[in-house]
Amino acid sequence: MTGRKGTDPMRLVQVAGWLGSGKTTLIIALAKGLSRKGVKVAILVNEIGAIPVDGRVIQDYGLTVKDIGGGCICCQMAGSMMKTLKLLKEGPDPDIVILEPTGIAVPHAVKEMVLSMATSGDMTLGPTIVLFDTTRAAKLLGYETLQRVVTTQLQDADIIALSKSDAIADDAFAEAGDAVRVINPRAQIVRLSVTNGYGMEALSQAVEDMTVPV
Amino acid sequence: MASLTAKERVMKLLKGETVDRPPIFSGMGNVIKPVLDKSGIVFSRVHRDPELMAKAAAGMYREFKFECAVVPFDLGVEAEALGARMNFYDGVEGLLYPTVKEKSVTSADDLKIPSDIRNSGRIPIVVNAIKALRRELGNEVAIGTYVLGPFTLAGQIKELDALYEESFLEPEKTGKLLEKLSGFIVEVFKVYREAGADYFTLREMGGTSDVMSPRSFKSLIKPHLKRILSEMPRPSILHICGDTNAIITDMAECGADAVSVDHKNCLAETRQKLGPKAIILGNFDPIKVLHKGAAKDVGHAVIESLNGGANAVWPGCDLWPEVPKENMQALMTALQDVKLKVA
Repeated sequence: MTGRKGTDPMRLVQVAGWLGSGKTTLIIALAKGLSRKGVKVAILVNEIGAIPVDGRVIQDYGLTVKDIGGGCICCQMAGSMMKTLKLLKEGPDPDIVILEPTGIAVPHAVKEMVLSMATSGDMTLGPTIVLFDTTRAAKLLGYETLQRVVTTQLQDADIIALSKSDAIADDAFAEAGDAVRVINPRAQIVRLSVTNGYGMEALSQAVEDMTVPV
Repeated sequence: MASLTAKERVMKLLKGETVDRPPIFSGMGNVIKPVLDKSGIVFSRVHRDPELMAKAAAGMYREFKFECAVVPFDLGVEAEALGARMNFYDGVEGLLYPTVKEKSVTSADDLKIPSDIRNSGRIPIVVNAIKALRRELGNEVAIGTYVLGPFTLAGQIKELDALYEESFLEPEKTGKLLEKLSGFIVEVFKVYREAGADYFTLREMGGTSDVMSPRSFKSLIKPHLKRILSEMPRPSILHICGDTNAIITDMAECGADAVSVDHKNCLAETRQKLGPKAIILGNFDPIKVLHKGAAKDVGHAVIESLNGGANAVWPGCDLWPEVPKENMQALMTALQDVKLKVA
């Protein structure tokens, strides 16, 4: 990430996952870690009030936090998001934009939206990280209604982060890992506990280096 | 058949009557920069001033002969009337649609339906814009308006994640919220009809099958859409975003005069499922084709939709305001020199 010039594209990384899976906690931890290394980070959220980043953290770590507007994935949101990305490029020009769509967003739809609006050379796509809350594995995969979104999110992941891994017994954790592996055999799986720092280095590295083919 | 006026063409089509050619119009947000620039209208102001709103909507017909005048342009009118706070991005240079910045409810019990809907939030602004359009263009062009469907509106006034989680795990609670919203939606439509709107689009974008399973759509959302469509003014159009072919017969059973589908739908499949009599509106891609595509691709996309079975040239969603002038012109001339089979 060092040596990036202002004309270089911004890298867009998506962090998805069901409500309560720990997206915000992960994003703040990632942003802080990257900032310490001199990487300029912007966070793009659906609704600005939904991410509890206080002003002090934003100031201390030089973060930019912008909202892309609530609501469903529709053409107004696609356009607004691209406008916000353009304003980011023209203004703070971050190296990495971490996008946290609403918990119900399906990553491929967000990716399609970005690609449909982007101008060639504006940005590169980093990984889509999908968090899976291992403490609620049975609920997330067990309810017929919930299963559709959760499964789609997992299928769209480049990296599946098994979150809250410090709060679950080893055998239950292994079971959750097996279940997501069946859903998406090609994704890299990372054991994550932001509290204990497990998996943070791997995710931070992927955010900086992993480029996803368009 | 003698050539019809833009208004006759749209209204006849929506009533299932024969038309001379497919109309080129929309029932969703459509205003583009060349129109705004010509009148010196600032986008963030257009949503809060009835004269500007009417002028911008009329400009799509006057400037390009797009065969409708539709207000409003954003998706926050009803939410604001129900207490949500909006961000109009006044300080931002360029075009950003207003968004909800503060939600107003957590459950059906919190939801207070205003007693005077006509004067709630920006509803009077839309009403006055419809009246102005009626005065100025009422004989020439059909005036359209839209209201969000109950599930989509719920997502504008309640935290989206919480709404989805509740709708999956405790659907009876969500059902209560949707029931209250449905009555409100019907009343808003009636207010718009009194003001002079000609056709009415119910936009249930949040019911997209990208997220919601067909079974959930059927049990949770469909009954409310059915009720709204039986009580709201006509001609009515039901629009849902995403690939809706898995729920398209349920959509049709909701009872709208026409269904509107997104560019993700395979139209031939939609037509095959709904049969020859259904009025299907769609579905060129307003972003990839009209905004980002080359002018030469626009006509091709239009013909593809019509060959797929669409009854009108109609976008899959809102037009993004930065559509280039030449692409809009290409859209309006797409049917020239094309031999079309009249429905």
